Amino acid sequence: MAEFDVGKHGVGPISILNVKGYLDAHTAPELENAFNSLINDKQYKVVVNFRDLKYISSAGLGVFMAYVETMRENNGDIKFCGLKDDVFNIFDLLGFPLLYEFYKEEKEAIDKFNQG
Amino acid sequence: MQLPDSNIALRNLSAIIDFSNNINSNLNLEFALNNLLLTCFGKLKITKGFIALFNDEDELKINLSKGFKSEIFDTFPHVINGKVGIEIFNSYMSANKFGLVKEIVFSDQLLGFLVLGEKLSKEDFSEEDNQFISTVMQIGSAAIRNVQSFEKLSNVNKVLDSKINQLNSIFDLGKEFSSILEIERVSKLLVYSISAQMLVSKYAIVIFNENSNLILESKYEESKLNEIMSSEEINSINSAILLNENNTFCRNCSELGIALIVPMMIKKVKKGLIFLGSRITKNQYSKSDIEYISSIASFAIISIENSRLFDEALEKQKLEKDLEIARSIQQNLLPKKLPKSSVYQIDAVNKTAKMVGGDYFDIVEISKNEILIAIADVSGKGIQASLLMANLQAFLKSIYKQNYKLQEASNFLNDLVSENTTNGSFITFFWGILNLENKQFTYVNMGHNPPLLIRDKKITKLKKGGMILGVMKTVIPYEYETVELKSNDAIILFTDGVTEAMNINNEEYGDERLENLCLQNSENEAKSILKKILADVELHTKGANQSDDITSLILKIN
Repeated sequence: MAEFDVGKHGVGPISILNVKGYLDAHTAPELENAFNSLINDKQYKVVVNFRDLKYISSAGLGVFMAYVETMRENNGDIKFCGLKDDVFNIFDLLGFPLLYEFYKEEKEAIDKFNQG
Repeated sequence: MQLPDSNIALRNLSAIIDFSNNINSNLNLEFALNNLLLTCFGKLKITKGFIALFNDEDELKINLSKGFKSEIFDTFPHVINGKVGIEIFNSYMSANKFGLVKEIVFSDQLLGFLVLGEKLSKEDFSEEDNQFISTVMQIGSAAIRNVQSFEKLSNVNKVLDSKINQLNSIFDLGKEFSSILEIERVSKLLVYSISAQMLVSKYAIVIFNENSNLILESKYEESKLNEIMSSEEINSINSAILLNENNTFCRNCSELGIALIVPMMIKKVKKGLIFLGSRITKNQYSKSDIEYISSIASFAIISIENSRLFDEALEKQKLEKDLEIARSIQQNLLPKKLPKSSVYQIDAVNKTAKMVGGDYFDIVEISKNEILIAIADVSGKGIQASLLMANLQAFLKSIYKQNYKLQEASNFLNDLVSENTTNGSFITFFWGILNLENKQFTYVNMGHNPPLLIRDKKITKLKKGGMILGVMKTVIPYEYETVELKSNDAIILFTDGVTEAMNINNEEYGDERLENLCLQNSENEAKSILKKILADVELHTKGANQSDDITSLILKIN
């Protein structure tokens, strides 16, 4: 089954990752690959758009933990946008809003990067 | 100006209705208390007040205060509902000369206190004021109770949600770990799950190998981590350990900011450790958090162990394949059939051990009148030994075709083998040529177990020769010896696989037993002597594993 997919495109110096489907322990490697290739290309400003994400597990969340330091050390960040309520609740439950910026619209996240 | 009574009542009533509407419109404690206090302030012209409520642990805590300087709360007493401190509370109240202290009660249960400062007008509280406050408090206490219950419930819900989330995470990992994964993958998923669930960015995972530790993941300096791993305290860990800032358990751990250590266990045996730093939320790890970490840790370590066993099985399979190749190389090097002659009988056997040693023998009819016999034991086992053996055979075949004398051939053979062996390999080697016309047997022994020449029930050991083959190039030429063989003489060649064959008590078969057996049977035919030797060795080693190749060759003069 087509469980998970991650699409990538750039808006100026900012990379947008569109995550789709189910992000769990099984599919986490695909997201890791996407982040690894961003780091290879020295793309440290990342907006993850969750509009099409149906489910996320802890292992999936952990991928963001694993890469955020690298991005920030290189003057970048990982910002989140477009989360459905139930997906956001999981982030919220675990305290992610303490560490990450969440936006409703992709544009807000991009603007935030451009201001900074 | 004095207002008519009815107007006062009306104003009170509208304030109460307004208050009642407001306070029940929002399920937020702060909002409710704020409303309660402000209503009193507004109606009674007061500028100071606070509300203290009993929390879940029944401790009295100030929830909201307005107008008072914060210093007066420095001496606020520690009160536990219905138990301690109520006298201190009373004396605190009178010492601070508050205007009014009212208990907040809901259906006989004391929820806390409303404390008001003096009226701006410095007047005492009137009967009407008191009545107003009582009415407001009745409505207020119900609202406070509601909000408290609601907050308690949403806390319970939150705990449940996070429990469900942890269970989902365990389920997710369990599914994933049940298939065979690389160890690195397992540890990655493990730290992903823990770092997300616990919101922790510093961690390390170490597993124990047979005699070393393997750091799978680490956000700490490896040298520091290794230092910790070698400490006594860490060795003694058998259950999860919470470390606070001033613990004395493991000084190095506190230096690194490690807050929790969870062992990874399989059947009560510790197979690894998870180190975690403190949480970004600053929350302590709860019992349920530790349970969660322990559960996925045990899933992970089983998966890691499986993966390791799988690799081992694969390695073993590869090794067995290697040995099979070695065995077939070796068997192909041995002579396929033995020569027959009216002058002599010859018989030989090579029984390979499971691990395949490096025994070798050869019998070559060099000319009509000459036969060459050779026996060797190549150092090492398996493929390496087989390849060296193949080399030896190639050298042997090329040398004896050159018509060298045996002594020269030995010098030359040693040079060749020395040049072509690496990392300390060597060969114990014995070869000899029997002249069928005059029955002279010329031999050179290059460090091999001396063959036994048996004549008239006496043994002569054929020792002449020199250094073991292949250790270094020939400096001192090999010596040779020629013995005149007579009818009925027997020469027993063998490798140490025969004399060093072990029984179940790890006792060797021994030279003496072999010599005695050969003496007793020297009258027999070559074939029969060989059979006796094999049978006796088998008798000795019954029930034990064959640890080395067994090779023997018997030459008997008719």
